[in-house]
Amino acid sequence: MAAYLIRRLGYGLMTVLGVLLLLFVLFFTVTDPDDIARKAVGERARPEVYAQWKKNHGYDRPLLVNRAYAASDRRRYTDTLLFDHYRRMLSFDFGNSDADDSSISRRLKEGMGPSLSLTVPLFVFGLVLGVLLALFVAFFRETYIDRAALVVCMLTMSIAGLLYIISGQYLIGMLLKWFPISGFAFEPWLAARFLALPLLVGIVSGMGADVRLYRTIFVEEINRDYVRTARAKGCGEARVMLAHVLRNALIPILTNIVITIPFLFTGALLLESFFGIPGLGSLTVEAIHGNDFSTLRTMVYLGALLFIAGQILTDISYALADPRVRLS
Amino acid sequence: MSGAVGRRGIMIGLVVLALAGCSNDPYPSADGNKKILYTSFSEAPKTLDPAVAYTTASHLITGNVYDTLLEYHFLKRPYQLIAALAERVPAPEPHADGGVSYRFQIRDGIAFQDDPCFALSQGAGRSRKVVAADFAFELARLADPAVNSPLAGSFAPVLGFSQFAERLTALRQADAAVANLPANVQYARAGGIAGVIAHGERELEIVLSEAKPQLLYFFAMPFTTPVPWEAVAYYDGRDGREHFADHPVGTGPYRLASYDKQYRMVLERNDAWYGRHALDAAPGSQFPGEIDAEDIASRAIDAGYAGRRLPFLERIMFVREREDIPRFNKFLQGYYDEGHIVKESFDAVVQNDSLSPQMAARGMRLDKTVEPSIFYIGFNMDDPVVGAAAGERGRKLRQAMSLVIDSKAYLELFLNARGVPAQSPLPPGLFGYDRDYRNPYRQPDLARAQKLMAEAGYRNGIDPANGAPLKLSFDTPNTTAQALLQYQFYVAAWRQLGLDVEINASTYNQFQAKVRRGAYQLFTWGWIADFPDPENFFFLLECSNAQSKSGGPNTANFCQPQFDRLYQEMKSLPNDAHRADLIRRMLALLEAERPWIELFHNEEYALSHAWVVNAKPMGLSYPTYKYMDVKPELRAQLQAEWNVPLRWPLYLALILMVAVTLPAVRTFYRERQ
Repeated sequence: MAAYLIRRLGYGLMTVLGVLLLLFVLFFTVTDPDDIARKAVGERARPEVYAQWKKNHGYDRPLLVNRAYAASDRRRYTDTLLFDHYRRMLSFDFGNSDADDSSISRRLKEGMGPSLSLTVPLFVFGLVLGVLLALFVAFFRETYIDRAALVVCMLTMSIAGLLYIISGQYLIGMLLKWFPISGFAFEPWLAARFLALPLLVGIVSGMGADVRLYRTIFVEEINRDYVRTARAKGCGEARVMLAHVLRNALIPILTNIVITIPFLFTGALLLESFFGIPGLGSLTVEAIHGNDFSTLRTMVYLGALLFIAGQILTDISYALADPRVRLS
Repeated sequence: MSGAVGRRGIMIGLVVLALAGCSNDPYPSADGNKKILYTSFSEAPKTLDPAVAYTTASHLITGNVYDTLLEYHFLKRPYQLIAALAERVPAPEPHADGGVSYRFQIRDGIAFQDDPCFALSQGAGRSRKVVAADFAFELARLADPAVNSPLAGSFAPVLGFSQFAERLTALRQADAAVANLPANVQYARAGGIAGVIAHGERELEIVLSEAKPQLLYFFAMPFTTPVPWEAVAYYDGRDGREHFADHPVGTGPYRLASYDKQYRMVLERNDAWYGRHALDAAPGSQFPGEIDAEDIASRAIDAGYAGRRLPFLERIMFVREREDIPRFNKFLQGYYDEGHIVKESFDAVVQNDSLSPQMAARGMRLDKTVEPSIFYIGFNMDDPVVGAAAGERGRKLRQAMSLVIDSKAYLELFLNARGVPAQSPLPPGLFGYDRDYRNPYRQPDLARAQKLMAEAGYRNGIDPANGAPLKLSFDTPNTTAQALLQYQFYVAAWRQLGLDVEINASTYNQFQAKVRRGAYQLFTWGWIADFPDPENFFFLLECSNAQSKSGGPNTANFCQPQFDRLYQEMKSLPNDAHRADLIRRMLALLEAERPWIELFHNEEYALSHAWVVNAKPMGLSYPTYKYMDVKPELRAQLQAEWNVPLRWPLYLALILMVAVTLPAVRTFYRERQ
């Protein structure tokens, strides 16, 4: 197991290095430090202001090779944007935002709470409700409930996430007036009423795919011999479903959910942006719009790290959930 | 089974009860009757340092927290400067060498807002009196390369401004330890700016090396506000202290009570503001006495406020809304007091150029303000085909191309008619603007344009050199699909003349690089004035500012000696009849020469609710909150009327759920038995 983990971590490191390189190439292909400077100090500033800003932020250096130094000088390659990019990311020194000079580490700390206050309940409620609904549909398989549920699942999967958000805000916030359309509060008892609508929208928009997947898994399990045996032994339906079917269906469900757990920290981009939640999802959207390279690379880098962590966690959870699985 | 049903019943009951107590009101009910203005912001301020802040988002805060020596009259148009922290608007004092001095007498009894930073100079004191040196300190910050103010170049006419920056840089390079000293000490060591002189505590003299009356406008901007050196020294971002860019310390009518730019910013009334205590009637501290009858009739201004002491609002709450649609919906619910129209709802809100009957019935108000801006298509006058070198032929080609662009149709098609078709570079509200002036080359007339094309030697757009349609290139700074559609509108208009115009869309950076290289024939650009003076538009066409000669903002490379002579004379004159005459002559030259096809002046539409008083916008990006007021009782009443929750759909959904599932459950169990 230890050897397996070390090997996976090694692969993960290589993936991260590749992601950082790709990010650097992509970013400096579609934009250049002048664009970043213009966004930061405004369109009307004079060229010398841009130049000073680039100097202050280290963007005045060449991308790959600094020909100001002799060929034998190490700084020819270390005093470059690429080297600085790797150095900062690998040492977790994220620096300051290109947009407003605020500390990125501080903004990550500030944004994590609001993000988790949305994503954790979204994950928990979404999972519990998805599993229960799938069990319910699987229980009534081959009935009109099952068929209707599958049609609804397909419909909900076919609709874009943004439409859920806009129509949810309009229907529940605007027409029914049950919850505030958007907003946030840092006090938990006040935050609940702001989070109700994004939670509802988030759960409904993700429910179709989850229920359909879990239902397939459950139906497959229900047709297995051990279920028939359990019933023959006189087990009640509730016990059969919850104690036998659910437990055995856990492995494929784990695949689906464990990998998403690390991403709870990076927030929900659209939900946070539209519902005015000052989390890390909003931060990422803002960085994209504002050409804030330093924030964006941090978020992509953290995303890559979390993705790799999610994969390793999934493998470990396999081994824990199923004694037949051995990591080697 | 009965237990499970019971638990389900309890759950459903809890949901129903929870929803019964639900409301969509995003604010604490305890604040309902306070004079709080609720508004939103979409873009976060980048900085609150008044020497650097240059965006509308930043000015929401800096324009309220920092006061200036001068400010604009809230209601008078053309815009007029009035005294604020200064006792009067200073008159120029010419020098024999061509220089000019302005002496600002600073009002007595002005103090900074309470702040811990004053412990650096006052011991236990939390504030101190404003002195002339505080203005000089901020001007030195503008010159400081480390501060990197975007407006530093505009202060170059101040005597010794750039030399001070050079001395400061040399000082820091000579001794690295200097950079760690408080900024005021560094500036003192560098010798200060020769043309910025503090005479005692209450007089500030600004000496310019040449006459530049427009510089006075900069003293109505937060860039020149008094800044306490203590705040810059104290808020250095170390040991848990904030950065000065996030912690403004000013003298304005409001102070920043809470600042989380990802979430919410709150301004609270500064009870120590000079305007609340001044014995004399300082013009910037009271509501204007002369109110236009039209403003009263349109409810833009409440005449009852004339002469009253400012400000009226206790608190201003800016809530971060990143997206337009939720922001607009919350405005419709009454949870934002002011708002802007989203494109998707424009037709529902505005009909026949005024509020729709549904919106008017809610007591809403629509204010339109023309920005001091101009959007135009320019010709590169250095180009051999469309430029000055082509002589009369080129002139007629430009005139013909100008005659077929219908700005009104463009505005209706792409901008919901939010704009004023331009007749000249000067927008409404500026001195020299004549609302009756009609540029003969800006009235769409295809027949006349075709005649001009024929006179230019391009009959039906055919270039006699090769017998094919005349090919021109049109450089644009935007590559989005929507922008390309807009550019196509112009190309289609020119196609009526037989011209073959090719769009070269590029990013803003690439576009600027092309401009620097002079590699363009036609281009489109816009300009929003820093200050409301005709000079701030005409300088874009002055020869010494030509891009090809000096890298300046005259991107059309228009060089016309007579225009330049008139410009030089006009720019240093006061707004009088002679200046108006010079402007008329300059416009006549532009009319015939056509270096630009003037397209439109942008128009902002602002909405406000019935309970908001004096919501008239100023047009420049200056916040006018100190003139605004709200009626909280009316707001609470209308909010309650507009936001009664509808609960029956929930009950219906629950009944439907039970109705759908119950037969299946019953059938299943019957089959199992």
